[in-house]
Amino acid sequence: MLAQSAGRIVQTIVVLLIVSGASFSLLKLAPGDPVMLMLGAEFSQESYDSLQHDLGLDRPVLVQYLTWLGNFVTGDWGTSYVSRTDIFTVVVKEALPVTLTLTACSIVLAVAVGVPLGVLSAVRKDSVWDTGVAVFALTGTAFPSFFLGIVLIWLLAVQLGAFPVMGFVAPWDDFRTGMYHMVLPALTLSTYFIGMIVRVTRASLVEVLDQPYIAAARARGEPGWRVVWVHGVRNIAMPVVTMIGLQLGGILQGAVLTETVFSLPGIGQMLTGAVLGREYTLVQAGVMLTATLFIVVNMIVDLSYPLLDPRLRPR
Amino acid sequence: MTNKLPTGIDHRKILEERISAEIGRRTLLKGIGAGLLAAGGAGMLPDLARAQQNGHIRIAAIKHIDTLDPHFTFFLSAVQVINNIHNGLLKVTYDGETVRFEPDLAKSWDLEDDRTHLFRLHEGVKFHDGTPCDAEAVKFSLMRVKSGTPASPHAWKLALLNEIEIVDPLTVRLHFAEPYAFLPVALTGSTGRAGTIVSPAAVEKYGMDYGRNPVGTGPFKFVSWRDNDSIELEANPDYFEAGMPKLQRASFVLIDEPSTAVAALVSGQIDGMTDCPMQLVAQVKNIPTVTLYGEIEGNYTYIGMNNRSAPFDDVNLRRAVAFAINRDTLLKQAYFGLAQQAYSPISPPMSGYYDPNIGNTNRGQRFDLAKAKEFRAKAANQGEIEVTYIMAERGPVGTRVAQTVAPMLSEIGIKVKLELLEPAAWVQRMKDGNFQMLDFDWVADLDPEETIFPEFKTGGSWNYWGWSNPEFDRLCTEAQTIIDVPTRAALYHKAEDILMDEAPIAMLAHMPVYKVFSKKVQGFNYIPCDLVDLHGVSLA
Repeated sequence: MLAQSAGRIVQTIVVLLIVSGASFSLLKLAPGDPVMLMLGAEFSQESYDSLQHDLGLDRPVLVQYLTWLGNFVTGDWGTSYVSRTDIFTVVVKEALPVTLTLTACSIVLAVAVGVPLGVLSAVRKDSVWDTGVAVFALTGTAFPSFFLGIVLIWLLAVQLGAFPVMGFVAPWDDFRTGMYHMVLPALTLSTYFIGMIVRVTRASLVEVLDQPYIAAARARGEPGWRVVWVHGVRNIAMPVVTMIGLQLGGILQGAVLTETVFSLPGIGQMLTGAVLGREYTLVQAGVMLTATLFIVVNMIVDLSYPLLDPRLRPR
Repeated sequence: MTNKLPTGIDHRKILEERISAEIGRRTLLKGIGAGLLAAGGAGMLPDLARAQQNGHIRIAAIKHIDTLDPHFTFFLSAVQVINNIHNGLLKVTYDGETVRFEPDLAKSWDLEDDRTHLFRLHEGVKFHDGTPCDAEAVKFSLMRVKSGTPASPHAWKLALLNEIEIVDPLTVRLHFAEPYAFLPVALTGSTGRAGTIVSPAAVEKYGMDYGRNPVGTGPFKFVSWRDNDSIELEANPDYFEAGMPKLQRASFVLIDEPSTAVAALVSGQIDGMTDCPMQLVAQVKNIPTVTLYGEIEGNYTYIGMNNRSAPFDDVNLRRAVAFAINRDTLLKQAYFGLAQQAYSPISPPMSGYYDPNIGNTNRGQRFDLAKAKEFRAKAANQGEIEVTYIMAERGPVGTRVAQTVAPMLSEIGIKVKLELLEPAAWVQRMKDGNFQMLDFDWVADLDPEETIFPEFKTGGSWNYWGWSNPEFDRLCTEAQTIIDVPTRAALYHKAEDILMDEAPIAMLAHMPVYKVFSKKVQGFNYIPCDLVDLHGVSLA
């Protein structure tokens, strides 16, 4: 067990090293110079040179990377070139909570809507319900989140005035207002995800409902809802949870667009600005954080298997 | 003793007349002792008629804001906020017809001779940190721009400033090496930025982080700045101008996506937008609850050609391009019919320099296909020429100009290959001179000097085109030290004529810049240099 955990940690560190190296070199390979972008139109060679030196960008790339890495692991995440604020504060204390709130709300919403629809679809296989849900799921998956966000804003926020158009209110300061602001962004971000959950739930449940233990449960005279929701759904938990872990990357990717449309100050919006402005240290911090998030969530998914399936528990 | 230049022009008299005309007769006290003028008077003194502040305005800030340090910002989007926190020695005003440069923190501005300026400051003005805004603070701020470390990008605007003499705690005398015509613009707190007065104590305290903790004398105090979220300001109850500010709080909500901002405006979540892109103007005009402000501002757009190498090292080919572009079509397709044709760089708000009749003269560039073909026939390369035109989704028009212009050039045997780049890569290619053709938009301070000289002088750092003409350089250099507007304008017109004839660039348009406010917002004073002036704004 200990060896397994140690192996896991080493594996995580190696993955993070590869991710940091890859993102750093990709950003360096991309044309575009942060100094020029910061200086805008009005600049002279002297101001260029002095700014380049101040930012440490006149040193060899490898030195820049190793310096960054050394500082990063010792907790010094550096200062943003543009805003001159502490990157750790900006990324971890300010942007991360926003993205985590958005992601968590979207996952909860997707599970709350996707699982029942998938169950309905499986139970009423090949019926009008099944077709209806399939059409809904496909449309949700196919709809670009950017466009959907704008449609939802115009329909629900502008025309009906039911929800706020934009902005973030921290749920830990004011839970009701926070959630109220989160409805449209979470709905936008979760539509793709709802479609995926519906399809996985349906496919797994159709298979499970053919199993002998379901037939046995029915034979014992257990009510239909109990057969489906207790004996059936418990057995599809694993594929659904695995899918959520793997799709987290997609959700974080969708968060970039959703945060832009709804003007939420999260990691997605921060990363977009940082990439366009070639803010290497800020991009690195964002990438490392999302990579860590992805790894940690998938680790939790792995660890949850024994809880979901007693056969996997150590004896 | 009045100094006279060899040209025989009495600069002092001219400036005296110009300033007096600008300040207006009501507030002018002329010819008393050495005093040239004293603007304001009792109404400007502090402790009189304090404003009652109430209301919280929320304005969407669409464009990127780099820093709130007036001496280091590169963007007018930052000046939109800075201008409400700080004052300049001078300020830009607009009455709907004429742009003027008037005293702001200065109570009076006297010209002792054509290169010595005396500024008397308002009494009792304090920075938001409680320290006094006096002659020492003015000297500190000007020196910070002129020779501070790190170097301010606006240092060149004060290069001719030889000495700052503190006459008494509220009086400074500026000695210049030459008569300096750009001075009124340079000393403003808004477009020129070099004349913005900052708190020395705050600069000392925050150092390079001043841009995140600005402390000025303006109607609003800085409260906080959260990335991708908002910049918060609150009223300065001790503001020195009577009756201002009227608002208790002001938030600049940072929204990247303009359509989201319009939706938030319609639903009442925000009260205004610092910028309304041209593609949204038609939609915004149909919203009954908002007012759109906007006029043609101090800018020009153009096709830039790389003069250093073939094919555009050939003046006749460049001239052919300049005459081959159908501006009417372009204005409709790329600018939604909202921009104005530009015949030359000097833009409409540059009162005294812009000729509103230029379209009816033979000055400048325009569409004339016959003439374009004539020049094309004189070009060295008579075969079909293939050029690469780099474009990016950036600026107010994105790739629309490139897509509209490309087919027009095929009429004169130039086959344009459009290359789409990511904005950062595009900027790098332009600044490296690694391009053949591109389109660009240039926003200038409201003076012809900054409009054409740094951009086109030989070896100038913004001369991306590699064009050079000694006569152009000479005319612009001479104009720098001429204060008489018609004389100076004549020099710039001659310089422009050379520029337009040799066509390193093909002029396209002067663009309007729009602001939108809810009808609840009252007292917004539109100034055509992209300012968001909240001094007198209130909420109904």
